[in-house]
Amino acid sequence: MEILQYALRKFITGIPLIIGVTLISFLLMVYFGPDKTYELAGKNPTPEQIQEIRHQLGYDKPFVARYLEYMKELVTFDFGYSDSTGERVSSILKRTVPISLALILPGFILGNLLGIALALVAAYHRGRWLDKFIMSGSVVGMSVSFLIVIIAFQILLSSNDGLGWFPVRGWNVYNFWDYLHYVTVPTLATVFVALGYNTRFYRAVIVEEMGRDHVRTAKAFGTPPGELLFKHILKNAMIPIITRIMFSIPMVVISGSLLLESYFGIPGVGLVTYDSITTGDQPILKAVVGITAVLFVIVLILNDIFYKLVDPRVSLK
Amino acid sequence: MTCISRNSPKKSNFPHLQKPLYSLIQQFPIVFRYFMSRRIFGLLILISLLLTGGCSDGPDTNGMKIYRHSLNGSPTSLDPAQSATIYANHVVVNVYDTLYSYKYLTRPYQIKPNLAAALPEVSEDGLTYTIRIKQGVRFIDDPAFPNGKGREVAAADFVYSLKRHFDPETRSQGSWFWAGRIKGMAEWKQAGSNYDQEVEGLRALDRYTIQIILNKPFPQLVHTLAQGYAAIVPREAVEHYGREFSVRPVGSGPFKLQRFDSVGVVLVRNPGYRQEPIDLAYEGYDEALHGKFGIKEIDGRAPPLVDRLEIHFIKESLSRWNSFTKGNEIQYAGIPKELLDDVLAEKKPDIVLKPQYAERYFMTSGYENGFVHTDFNMRDPEIGYNEDKQREEMNHALRCAIRYAFDWEDRNQRFYNNMGFVFPGIIPPVTPEYDPDGPKDALEHNPEKGRKLLAEAGWTADMLPTLTYGGVASVDSRQMFEQFRGWLTKIGYPKEKIVFDSYASFGDYNRAVKKAKIKMVGMGWGLDYPDAENTLQLFYGPNGSPGSNNANFNHPEYNRLYEETAVMQPSPERTRLYRRMNQIVLDACVTISGLSRRQIFLWHKDVVSFPDQSIVGGFHLKYVDVKEDK
Amino acid sequence: MNTLAEDRNIPGESESLWGKAWYKFRRDRTGMLSLAVVMLFLIIALGVWAGLWGQGWSSVEGSMWAKPSAEHWLGTNIIGQDIFERGIYSTKTAFEVGMVVAILSTILGGLLGALSGFFSNSWADEVILWLMGVLDSIPFYLFVAAIAFALQGFPYSMHIAMIATFWTTTARLVRGEVIKLKNFEFVEAARAIGLPRRLIIFRHIMPNTYHILLVQATIVFVSAIKSEVILSFLGLGVVDGVSWGLMIAESTQEVQAGHYANFLTASILLFALVMAFNMFSDSLQDALDPKKVSA
Repeated sequence: MEILQYALRKFITGIPLIIGVTLISFLLMVYFGPDKTYELAGKNPTPEQIQEIRHQLGYDKPFVARYLEYMKELVTFDFGYSDSTGERVSSILKRTVPISLALILPGFILGNLLGIALALVAAYHRGRWLDKFIMSGSVVGMSVSFLIVIIAFQILLSSNDGLGWFPVRGWNVYNFWDYLHYVTVPTLATVFVALGYNTRFYRAVIVEEMGRDHVRTAKAFGTPPGELLFKHILKNAMIPIITRIMFSIPMVVISGSLLLESYFGIPGVGLVTYDSITTGDQPILKAVVGITAVLFVIVLILNDIFYKLVDPRVSLK
Repeated sequence: MTCISRNSPKKSNFPHLQKPLYSLIQQFPIVFRYFMSRRIFGLLILISLLLTGGCSDGPDTNGMKIYRHSLNGSPTSLDPAQSATIYANHVVVNVYDTLYSYKYLTRPYQIKPNLAAALPEVSEDGLTYTIRIKQGVRFIDDPAFPNGKGREVAAADFVYSLKRHFDPETRSQGSWFWAGRIKGMAEWKQAGSNYDQEVEGLRALDRYTIQIILNKPFPQLVHTLAQGYAAIVPREAVEHYGREFSVRPVGSGPFKLQRFDSVGVVLVRNPGYRQEPIDLAYEGYDEALHGKFGIKEIDGRAPPLVDRLEIHFIKESLSRWNSFTKGNEIQYAGIPKELLDDVLAEKKPDIVLKPQYAERYFMTSGYENGFVHTDFNMRDPEIGYNEDKQREEMNHALRCAIRYAFDWEDRNQRFYNNMGFVFPGIIPPVTPEYDPDGPKDALEHNPEKGRKLLAEAGWTADMLPTLTYGGVASVDSRQMFEQFRGWLTKIGYPKEKIVFDSYASFGDYNRAVKKAKIKMVGMGWGLDYPDAENTLQLFYGPNGSPGSNNANFNHPEYNRLYEETAVMQPSPERTRLYRRMNQIVLDACVTISGLSRRQIFLWHKDVVSFPDQSIVGGFHLKYVDVKEDK
Repeated sequence: MNTLAEDRNIPGESESLWGKAWYKFRRDRTGMLSLAVVMLFLIIALGVWAGLWGQGWSSVEGSMWAKPSAEHWLGTNIIGQDIFERGIYSTKTAFEVGMVVAILSTILGGLLGALSGFFSNSWADEVILWLMGVLDSIPFYLFVAAIAFALQGFPYSMHIAMIATFWTTTARLVRGEVIKLKNFEFVEAARAIGLPRRLIIFRHIMPNTYHILLVQATIVFVSAIKSEVILSFLGLGVVDGVSWGLMIAESTQEVQAGHYANFLTASILLFALVMAFNMFSDSLQDALDPKKVSA
């Protein structure tokens, strides 16, 4: 109950953030954003037709009215219909978000787990060649552009010049086997790129934990290395690790998969959002930006609650 | 994932990092439980997504005859009133009925009745059309109808479908076909587009008879009735689905929609489609041309010939090719330009596949029904019309000089595999009015002449205006621009005065074009119907921006000729006038034109098909068959 | 963190921090090597800027997809442009993007971070924190795309978008540091003798955050040129000229047809520069780490 109240209070303090995000994105993406009119106007429009379309799209309404309308949509979670296909925005999201999650989650989970594992190995062998080897590897991983990795993996694993084991692009998933078939190459690319950053970050966290007094004490008392690692180091390191993972979530859902989706032609929410930017499909844009902002605030709150759970000294003031 | 993730900005927010040992040990179970529950929760989400995410139309395709078509673009809307692209038409003409259609195999294209019972009866003055439609044709079953049963298609449905174009709510993209042409339509729209009101020029005389009265003769009317725009929609569905009608087509065509998203569409056989056995002779079957494709076997059978028609939208040509050559994926594709030399044994004059490909695939090729061209924006006083007549003369010389700089042969080689058809002017070779013997000097690449022309007209390098060359920010259009800039420097145009005006989307580019903001506009035009009128209107003065006349060309004689020919039936006289108009455009140096791209279609040998995607788009799909045993 | 307090340099000793750092850096072989590579790239970029080389990047004289030759060292692309020249010219583009974004976002982050830290818990702090929160909550690529559209035709829209998103990390770090610094004796002393606040911030506090700013700038530099590649691929990046991103975008179709020159040239150059810069940045961080300086 206390937690619930706390969450509610936090959410209320999160409202300025939501307003800020929506205001800025509304200004940029909607008010100054791309214009759908000429896409809808056909090959040979007359000025009157263009006027009609603008009116229907609501472009002729004043800024404040349009923003308030947006706020209303955000509160009721009803974003209307896409301007290009006419499909309900909610059903578009219902269709695309699961695809994006299914695409990105395996890579995200593996990237983090492997990152932690490698970081533990590196930290345990701190200063020795294995550590140096892993850390140089991670700098290399960090230095390769995601785009290059995607292109290279596609050539090597999917194209007929390479191994040709996986589909070049697309997403025709009907069962688990199909899923593995389509998700492997994007996952490998994600893991490859994320691993460098993750390993480095987690190693830093773990090394810091290892230097703590209680760990040194435990070591001095002859605690076995495994126990030391898992019981004394990892569990403390869990806090920054989970924070990092939680804060990645809203971004991973939207922009993390944009490049993958556009390159592999996967109809997830990233691709839909990107298309809606380039074609000016404002209802979708408004929904995605608004939901991301809300998600972000929720993650912030969860994170605070999490701290609270971990450390009773952080009061639920 | 933003790119700065190496540092942990939140690190300083961890007060707990300094907490004493015992408190952490105390808290550990909570941390652990919390962590685990989130992980399990995450896994549960993942699993549930996998179960629900992609399984909406599982592979219940056993024993089904499936044809997997592919296209290099995707439609956004399946509402016939918005079927502006060939991609949309591929779906629209297969789920809806049109009054007329084109014969499967006859070329040049020939109109045939589809839902109409016969060709229209036209009055003496060419103004009144009477069209009778087939009886007993039914819409597919759909919740939009009472009791979910599809009802019979009636003449009133056509009347409704056409009226919709003049209802602003519809957001029609095809109304320009009929705008100003159907008697009383403008007034109907003016009065508020009330469907209960009659339009004088568009009526259902009885349940099966349509009457159209025109303001002035419009010989291309029948062609327009074969377009996706003119497809027949039931009012119940439009009203039932509202805005979502565009993704839930309800028609009476050979197929019905099962799934539609940005990567593809799945159509399945409409079991109630009328049985009309194919008469191959009537459809223009020619043993010499079509015999090798095995089309003969479909004679006498009733379309659609496959149970399930998938159209995959794959923009990247190489991905499409890889999918095509996999064998069990798509069965139809073009050849990516990067691979032409690997796949073709000969390119000119005949296109011949290398044996290893010829063994597995059938191929046809042809020129597109349209062309690409680069227009000068005549509304821009720095390059087009100018109040100062002397400057206008100079601008004319400048435009002609730029045209001399343009190297069609090079453009053709680098971007169109040297297989495009370059022709002077705006009457493309696929139209009957094309003049193969016309003067070709407008295609001449001669930087020397261009340089001289500039000097004679009094241009110096620092006087020359900054040329904005508009385009979408894609690799191709950027490279075309860079090539163009390279050519222009050869006539002495300063490099920094040639600027690429890039737009992140076609819509935004189009807006700039329609607002006449760009000096040079590169565009392509796909013919809606095989009559040069459809391209000549591109330079008709009153069609200026925001209309289709992107060059904003406005020439009194041209305009007069256009109006004169627009009401004429095809005749040698009309052809003569068409060609005269072409010459006017060429003399004015208002466009650098043009090139019709060569298209190559390949399909697997177990598919019986004669593909065509130029006119209308996709009307051939109902005749496609797939052989059972491979 | 608590250890920092003890050996935290006070003004007057700051020179010795930099001196020690430089001493330490010079002995770091990886650091020196990576610095040399970065310098090499910088010289290439300066040469392009001065018009010494890489000027033929736009000429379309060559044939289509020519093989490497004496005339075209790395061959040509589809419209006959020299790939070597384009790769070289793109180095300038990369530095331009990296420098502009790194310098401006560091200045912005440093100033706003210091301000917000110095006046922590005031309304100004709240506003800045709010702004940072807002900018961090908008997905990066959407944000850039939106700015590119809002500033249609403006060649620096990509730079602006990157600056607008990258400064927040710097600002957060500086803010944390400043909050710590302002409770130190020397600052309290300065306040006690009645020095104006502006002076305290700029004379006494800011200089103690320079090591953060320097490291942050190198990190942002790398992020900027990496982002440029992806943005250019998406059609939102460099408007005029050529960049590695544009070259890679061009190559995505070519590679599958066996024309690897564009792809390899751009990716290897990009990788080399980013790798060297990353290593340089690491060594710099080590050298500037006060814990290690005094160790």
